[in-house]
Amino acid sequence: MSRLGTLLRQTMTIARRDFVATVFTPTFLIFLFAPVVMGSFGAIGGLGANAATQGGGDKTRIVAIVEGDQARLMMAVDAQLRKLYRDESDAPATLRTDAPGTDPAAQAHALIEDKSIDVPVVMFGPLDHPHILYTPRSTRSADYIAQLAEQTLRTARSGTAALSDATRTEIKRTAPRLRGGKESGFFAVFAIFFLTLLLAGQVVSGVAEEKGNKVIEILAAAVPLESVFFGKLLGTFGVAILFLAFWGTLATQIGTLMPANFAAGIAALTPAMGMPMFTLLFFGYFTMAYMLLGAVFLGVGAQASSVREIQLLSLPITLIQVSMFGLGALAISHPNGWLATFAKFFPLSSPYYMAGRAAQSPDVWPHVAALAWQAVWVAIFVSIGVRAFRRGVLQSGSGKFRWKALLGRS
Amino acid sequence: MHDNLAISATGLVKKFSGRRVVDGVDIAVPTGMIYGVLGPNGAGKTTTLRMLLGIIEPDEGHRTLLGTDRPRSVSDRVGYLPEERGLYPAMKAREAIAFMGALRGLPLRTGRKRATELLETAGLGHAADDKIRKLSKGMAQLIQLLGSIVHQPELLVLDEPFSGLDPVNQERLEALILAERDRGATIVLSTHVMAHAERLCDRLAIIAKGRRRFEGTVAEARSLLPMQATYTPRNDDEHIADYLPAGAQHRGDGWRFTVPVEGSEQVLSKLIGAGYGISGLSIERPSLHDAFVKIVGRAALEDQA
Repeated sequence: MSRLGTLLRQTMTIARRDFVATVFTPTFLIFLFAPVVMGSFGAIGGLGANAATQGGGDKTRIVAIVEGDQARLMMAVDAQLRKLYRDESDAPATLRTDAPGTDPAAQAHALIEDKSIDVPVVMFGPLDHPHILYTPRSTRSADYIAQLAEQTLRTARSGTAALSDATRTEIKRTAPRLRGGKESGFFAVFAIFFLTLLLAGQVVSGVAEEKGNKVIEILAAAVPLESVFFGKLLGTFGVAILFLAFWGTLATQIGTLMPANFAAGIAALTPAMGMPMFTLLFFGYFTMAYMLLGAVFLGVGAQASSVREIQLLSLPITLIQVSMFGLGALAISHPNGWLATFAKFFPLSSPYYMAGRAAQSPDVWPHVAALAWQAVWVAIFVSIGVRAFRRGVLQSGSGKFRWKALLGRS
Repeated sequence: MHDNLAISATGLVKKFSGRRVVDGVDIAVPTGMIYGVLGPNGAGKTTTLRMLLGIIEPDEGHRTLLGTDRPRSVSDRVGYLPEERGLYPAMKAREAIAFMGALRGLPLRTGRKRATELLETAGLGHAADDKIRKLSKGMAQLIQLLGSIVHQPELLVLDEPFSGLDPVNQERLEALILAERDRGATIVLSTHVMAHAERLCDRLAIIAKGRRRFEGTVAEARSLLPMQATYTPRNDDEHIADYLPAGAQHRGDGWRFTVPVEGSEQVLSKLIGAGYGISGLSIERPSLHDAFVKIVGRAALEDQA
């Protein structure tokens, strides 16, 4: 077997051990179903917030102080206008009409001050010159009730019968939208960030197990440390892929699990190079983002001598991930600036940026070059991590950068 | 010296924080032998073995392992039991052995099959499917040894293999080591327990304070010290010491003295001539333990000087 073949075999032995040791444990079930717990808490929180909002919303009214005929007409117009709001939470508060008293202005002020009901907007006076009182942050409701007055007057002149009968036909675009590329790009950057944030952090404790139970000496004697590090990266990546495959399958097969807006958002993505190639590149860049960050985390984590030190590393790890996401997202919105050039070549941000570019540009060759560039950096980061480990933990004087090892020669 | 060496090292030096923990060690291990690396705690045995195996690189010196100066390239032909025992606690015994074989290039399926056989041979067949965390320390240690031989290495390096084992498991381990030697493997073992070295080793090196102080067979090591005689006279009185070599010590009913270089005949003739007679006499070779203590003690004195 060639040197490279041996290296690969040794790497896969370590990867297999790590994968099996992680997946075939009860703890993995907790890891796998963590999104359920997260979603449950989110749902509970959302329901609570919704209930609180609706509880307040039930007692909120916008009030028009108008005469009886106008009031009826206004209610009819209000019913028509509200059809434009698909989401009730976007619609103005329920309209109430009150008959005018002797002093409508005082009546309006009294309604605003009424503690038994929440009235942010009150309109009084003739509809062609209405007076609208509104509380701060109720500008939209004030605009709505002004428009209501306008439409009520227009309806009074033209009648309530429909004047137009539209024919609606749904069609799909054949060309990508102008904004579609940017939206797809941001989606790609965010999705890679989200997935690596969820999954890559666990790599930091990769070598800790072997250091703790002294197996590292066995591994170091039997296989090159490069194989140990690469094996650990691949093992944990395998766990991440299993996680994604499980939830991806569930989400796509059971549509109800996917939030309606999210599913519609994905359906609306129009990457410049087409969805199949974009999907392929997205997976490639996710892999590279995972490997690059994982290699750095693994190298740093291997230097830690206790669980406490590993826990301390979680904050800088999260910060690195957030900053790379920020850099990638910013660069995508300014693809011709120096920041984009930096994000393109800086190894840790390159997968984020290039995934975004995949959505905006149909050229394939830059992605081949980018993936190769990133793969080289994975190897460099692993080699640096190994070098530091060899010098710091194994106390070996050999801290030489091992290009030969990277190339499969010893 | 044999032409065919499993290990050859000259002038190995390793410095930690500027201190030379291994200071110019030379070692030559002929193939097919059990070779002992002896030394007191902190002598540099483990560091020397780690350098020989390529786990760490020497700062100076040169070594070859199974004919190559790139020890990592022949790691599939080498077995290693480190001083600090390490196994994955959640692994089953059979899997642990097969995994260690897989690290050295043995297919997992073959590894499992051989692991079963080895476990049976070692009397641990009942523990094949037990997780490592459930095994006693001694059993886990034997499992690790089986893991280091499952791929049938040409060279087996054992660092303090007997530490922490009860006498029964020490016997088992000795049997396993001898079986490996009989299979044709070269075995290098480090220890500071002289009894094991004396029973097992064909040749040995004694290392102290980072330097090799002796290299040869057990008999050669023992011959470094003169023989000791225990003499019991038939008749004893206060003048008998005048007829014994200088330094003779009274022990119980008799005397113990170092046999002079020219032999014990003259001493005995004088004693018989003076009428003391011989009630009992034994002449003993010094043990490896005595030789070790002398060599290591001399090394300490040399370093102080």
